[in-house]
Amino acid sequence: MKTHVKVAAAAVAAGLLAAAGCSSSSSSGSGSGSGGGVVKLSVLTGFTGPDGPSYQALVSQFNASHPNIKVTMDIQPWDAIGQKLPAEWATGQGPDLATPNFDPGVIFNYIKTNSVLPLDASVGTGDAQINSSAFPSSVTKAFTVNGHLYAVPANLATVALYYNKAMFTAAGIADPPKTSDEFVADVKKLTLGGASPTQYGISLADHQTIEMWPILQWMNGGDIVGPDGCATINSAASVQALSTWAGLVQNDHVSPVGQTGADADTLFSAKKAAMELNGPWAADGFRKAGIDVGIAPVPVGSAGPVTIASTVPMMIAKNTKHKTEALEFLSWWTGKTAQAAFSKSSGFPPSRTDVTVDDPNVAVFAQALPTARLYLAGLPSSSQIDSDVYTPLLGQLTRGADAQKSADAAAKSINQLTGCKS
Amino acid sequence: MAHLAEPAAEAANRSAPRGPERRERGRSPRSRFNPAYLFVAPALLLAAVFIVWPIIQSGWMSLHDWTIGDDSHKWLGFGNYTELFHDSRFWNSLKVTLVYAVFVVVGQVTIGLALAQWLRRTTWYTMLLRSAFFFPTIASLAVTGIVWKFLLDPQVGLVDGWLGKLGFHAQAWLQDTHLALPALIAVGIWKNFGFSMIVLLAGVQGVSKELLEAATLDGAGAVARFRHVTLPALRPAILFCVVIGTVNALQLFDLTYVMTDGGPLFHTESIVMYLYQRGFVDFRLGYASAIAWVLFLIIIAVSVVQLRMLRYRDDD
Repeated sequence: MKTHVKVAAAAVAAGLLAAAGCSSSSSSGSGSGSGGGVVKLSVLTGFTGPDGPSYQALVSQFNASHPNIKVTMDIQPWDAIGQKLPAEWATGQGPDLATPNFDPGVIFNYIKTNSVLPLDASVGTGDAQINSSAFPSSVTKAFTVNGHLYAVPANLATVALYYNKAMFTAAGIADPPKTSDEFVADVKKLTLGGASPTQYGISLADHQTIEMWPILQWMNGGDIVGPDGCATINSAASVQALSTWAGLVQNDHVSPVGQTGADADTLFSAKKAAMELNGPWAADGFRKAGIDVGIAPVPVGSAGPVTIASTVPMMIAKNTKHKTEALEFLSWWTGKTAQAAFSKSSGFPPSRTDVTVDDPNVAVFAQALPTARLYLAGLPSSSQIDSDVYTPLLGQLTRGADAQKSADAAAKSINQLTGCKS
Repeated sequence: MAHLAEPAAEAANRSAPRGPERRERGRSPRSRFNPAYLFVAPALLLAAVFIVWPIIQSGWMSLHDWTIGDDSHKWLGFGNYTELFHDSRFWNSLKVTLVYAVFVVVGQVTIGLALAQWLRRTTWYTMLLRSAFFFPTIASLAVTGIVWKFLLDPQVGLVDGWLGKLGFHAQAWLQDTHLALPALIAVGIWKNFGFSMIVLLAGVQGVSKELLEAATLDGAGAVARFRHVTLPALRPAILFCVVIGTVNALQLFDLTYVMTDGGPLFHTESIVMYLYQRGFVDFRLGYASAIAWVLFLIIIAVSVVQLRMLRYRDDD
């Protein structure tokens, strides 16, 4: 019996130890609070790239100028944020502010679950307010749902045309293309080696990238989805643009097929492609790769100047205990001073159209802001349209599928996802 | 052993005092509580909380329209399963997963068996080769995927670079719809054959030398000895490799996520990859749970079939 008591005691002790081991790791997590008159705000972002220090510097600058608020920025991979933030915010936990995803379309998921705070109380034109009219109109439109502003741009970028100056010189081309016709001609001329190219005219990516193909469609009046939520991917202009560029890839081998964004960057960095459509974040890497790189506006087609914009939404948790301070932080973040400083340190254009940019390389991206468009903006089903319809469509077209038939099938799928009845 | 044990047990029964035995039998089951249960209780508790409960919970979620963050979840019954049945992308991912599993398991066990037979004697160079072949097994799947993606890059990759020097055209291994899955299978086999080799090597080295000598004296050649002596002796080890390899292969995710992201055009999209897409990209956890349950049932069914087909008895 004594033995049994000892054994039982040992087992209970083992159990308690195990429980203690489990609980020791459960106390971490992002939290917020106030102590000593200083309000602590937690911000969760996914800026794991080389631009991360620029965001940290902005937070430090805010903390230095706001002694009553201390902002702490936690940086985690986008996938990790996507897996935990929806449940955290829906249950009143998690950070005070966050960038839920790099895809602005994701804001609908949070609005639907009533997890985010409308920012209307702070919207205005004063210095200490969120001046949404200073953002590019496409951005304000994308972040406004049912008349309420729910997010501000944590960053904003446009896509421009990177080109390898040495390759242009070798091909006898003096300047980067300015029109869509010149663009096509140059892309062909800069492709060397026939069916097994030794040099590609352009490095196009069709997945895991900032979208390049919508620019090619928009240039000549095409689109993917109209303002009414109905597909326009099979309109005459869209099909013609898709058919032209898919033909260039398929028949003229101007770009490899099926590249990710990283593949496309590697190709351009390896001096195997003469041009690439990319954002400001790529400039440093290309220069470090030893390329004499030029940056020019996207060539203009029949529909006028246009490019794609990319923005990361920053939102406030509905249940934050520090709404006033969180709104103050966003007002400051989107203010002229902060945006000018961020643009200078990161090479990104400012999120506002009323901030002057001196650096000519950044100016190329900033000048495109007024005519830049967001990809599948304002559509709750944007991520599904992208992953289930548009990206597969590009894959089919660049592998020889019929443009009109494929676009018709894609239009049908898009209309099912958006609920378009026409 | 059984013949020896029985008389001893009978003797023990005969010599045991009858009275105390009766009292022992008369005690309530509660008084005969085995303290071993207390030792396994923490582990059982952890398993219940982190394995059994999530399985049950996912089954419950699969019967609802369960979106992450939603306040309420609409009851669908078997609606998610019905949708799954008509979902061509699910069937495609199932086909991709099964093709991958069949080729990888057959490949890794066949190559592992051949290497185990070749490297069964222990010398300095067999030890070196065993270590080299086993190395991919201990490397992380994500790292393996990144390295192979780089090696197979048609523009800057080493494989196409060497093929080009030999006069072959560069192949877009991971971008070509016909080559992507075979390339993934090849990497899967390369990653796993070392594990099969080590398990089977232990089996090969345990084959009775007497039996092999007897077979040789009876005139059996190398092939006949392998087929009629070595192979039957390896049956438990082969079964182990096949079952473990199949269960792993059916859960294919890391490799395809890193190397192809399920592309080109879903040609390498596995079930788990599709589950991830629906659950953690589209936030449809109910539908993703239904996919998980179908995969769970498939793994059970395949494992049962394998155990039946490769069953053995110790006295075989």
